[in-house]
Amino acid sequence: MLISFMNKKYKPTYIPVSICTILVLFSAITLKAQTTDSTAIADSLALLQQIQAQMQTDTTQQPAAAQPRSSLSFNPDIGVIGDFQGSYISKGSKNFDMYLNETEVSLQATVDPYIRGDFFISFARDPETGKYGVEIEEGYLTTLSLPAKLQLKAGKFREAVGRINPTHPHALPFIDLPNAYVNLFGEEGLNDEGVSLSWLVPNNAFYQELTAQVTSGYSESPAFARSQGNRLIYLGHLKNFFTLNDNTTLELGLTAISGPNDSSRTTNIAAADLTYKYKPVQMNTYRSLTWQSEFYYSHNNQTENNAVNALGLYSYIQYQLAKRTFLTGRYDYGEKPYNNSIKEQAYSLTFGWYATEFSKMEIEAKTTDDNINSRFYQAWFRWIFVLGAHGAHQY
Amino acid sequence: MKRTSLFAVIAFLIFQSANAKTIKVVTTLTDLRSITELIGGDKVSVSSIATGYQNPHFVDPKPSYIISLSSADLFVTVGLDLETGWSPQLLSSSRNTKIQKGAAGYVDASEGIGLQQVPTAANRAEGDIHIYGNPHYWLDPLNGKVIARNIANGLERVDPADKATFEANLQTFYKTIDNKMKEWLAKMAPFKGTKIIAYHNEWVYFEKRFGLQIVDFMEPKPGIPPTPSQLVKVINEIKTNGIKVIISSPYFSTSSSDVVSKQTGVKALTMATSTGAFPTVKNYFDVFDYDINLITSALK
Repeated sequence: MLISFMNKKYKPTYIPVSICTILVLFSAITLKAQTTDSTAIADSLALLQQIQAQMQTDTTQQPAAAQPRSSLSFNPDIGVIGDFQGSYISKGSKNFDMYLNETEVSLQATVDPYIRGDFFISFARDPETGKYGVEIEEGYLTTLSLPAKLQLKAGKFREAVGRINPTHPHALPFIDLPNAYVNLFGEEGLNDEGVSLSWLVPNNAFYQELTAQVTSGYSESPAFARSQGNRLIYLGHLKNFFTLNDNTTLELGLTAISGPNDSSRTTNIAAADLTYKYKPVQMNTYRSLTWQSEFYYSHNNQTENNAVNALGLYSYIQYQLAKRTFLTGRYDYGEKPYNNSIKEQAYSLTFGWYATEFSKMEIEAKTTDDNINSRFYQAWFRWIFVLGAHGAHQY
Repeated sequence: MKRTSLFAVIAFLIFQSANAKTIKVVTTLTDLRSITELIGGDKVSVSSIATGYQNPHFVDPKPSYIISLSSADLFVTVGLDLETGWSPQLLSSSRNTKIQKGAAGYVDASEGIGLQQVPTAANRAEGDIHIYGNPHYWLDPLNGKVIARNIANGLERVDPADKATFEANLQTFYKTIDNKMKEWLAKMAPFKGTKIIAYHNEWVYFEKRFGLQIVDFMEPKPGIPPTPSQLVKVINEIKTNGIKVIISSPYFSTSSSDVVSKQTGVKALTMATSTGAFPTVKNYFDVFDYDINLITSALK
């Protein structure tokens, strides 16, 4: 008995517990040997008296808090997220590769009674040169006490375009990004410097949030470029969230963006996102289904008389097979925003094993077909691992 | 005559609106809701974010919860990192300064609780450990008194005019717990020191208060689903110690407990971890009534 307890990999604090366990066990054995009705009653009466005495003291005063209830330090919450990847592509001369795709360092804290600050510093690898560079993926302040249900954000942030853009890539259920999204916003997404004001619409029937963002256009995306003059990029997003019942929800988002493009004219984008989620409240860690789609329409003024209209969309279904396994199938359709006669279609399938909240492994296979190049195949593997603090993800 | 009747109508309306003004309370868990209702009486309207049958660690932060939080006067949380994956995000999105951490309308129900299992080192190799101590403290009815005291303090901060009502309700709550406690302890007394297995490490406060002894868990480490080697270990422990029950919660899969049950004949019990876990568990007291009845009838 003693040996089996010693063998357990318990921390030293558990040793007294083990000793108590043995003592209780020993007393239980001795008790069992001599138990009669009268001793059992006497025993329970003694216990009752003991508890009653304890309750008297408990009622009159609260015990002093012995342990701190939050970390006593003004350092921000620090997290590091590693993203190791391997890749395969069926075309070109280099077909296989592996690399530490990105290391993201997050630093988050409340600044003072008025604002909080969030920084995400990315050490990412340039896919062309293989060299690592540092950039501020996001760095912004958020107000905590504006009146009238307003919240202001200022700095560099991922903008409020639907569902994919505000999400950090490591949190997505696939490794590559949808073609239509990359065509418009690039691999880095629409992530720019400026201000964002959001308003919680006073609607008691369902959740509604209206966001207006004004940015400089400094971080260039394929759709927008930094203006040589004084022009800015304007974005408006309306998020509607409906609770259909305890287990299912529906989100409908509408986005409009307008800003200067690389022809120094204007590109206008209209986008819509629709997300249906089934997550049974009681067994939400075991079963879930997400169906998410986004539609993009871009109107790109290239010369005075020539504008290109391009459509794009993706739609994916993620199905939770078991507590830690997920399967995601996705369809992509995209027209190039500068030439809508180039149309791409792609299908992909991702299998994910989410070991804990702090690490997950995924493999993805994808086939892409466009009307210029011949069909090609890609595959990826990635392993995400999180050290330290890890904030909650959006629902 | 006309004027007096108009005056009466206005006076009535003013009185009605003043009377109708209740304190809006949002709690994270249903047990906190139940205790707030008992302390606040008709002065409060309370809603809980989580239901009583879902895993309190993994509540989905649906934006719809923000609606009630944005207009709440009081927010009550279990604290100790239990809700760390969802409540901070909801709270900051609520844009409600009255209920932010440190404000008068923020109640951390764990203030003054004598905590169990406070780790000496923070190491995630041990699974989902809570760095401030085990957060499932509401499963000891005597801790319910501390929770009630904290909630009463919060209510008195946001509504000092009704202090006397809250204090009177608090005394009634204390008395009910004390009376119930005698009944519960008497029922559990014959099973003092009985060894059991639990699915997840969430019963330490219940175990200590009612004199049970949890020898092992179905989960090899907190938050890690049962593995075949862990099941073998548990089966051996059940056989050597003559263990009769495994206690689990409504939000855990029963498949591994069923396997162990088939192998050993042990009874797998789905206990109530919170108010509302089952339709008959309507308030905080019912949680213990339900669990103690279940466990004592299985051990007889």
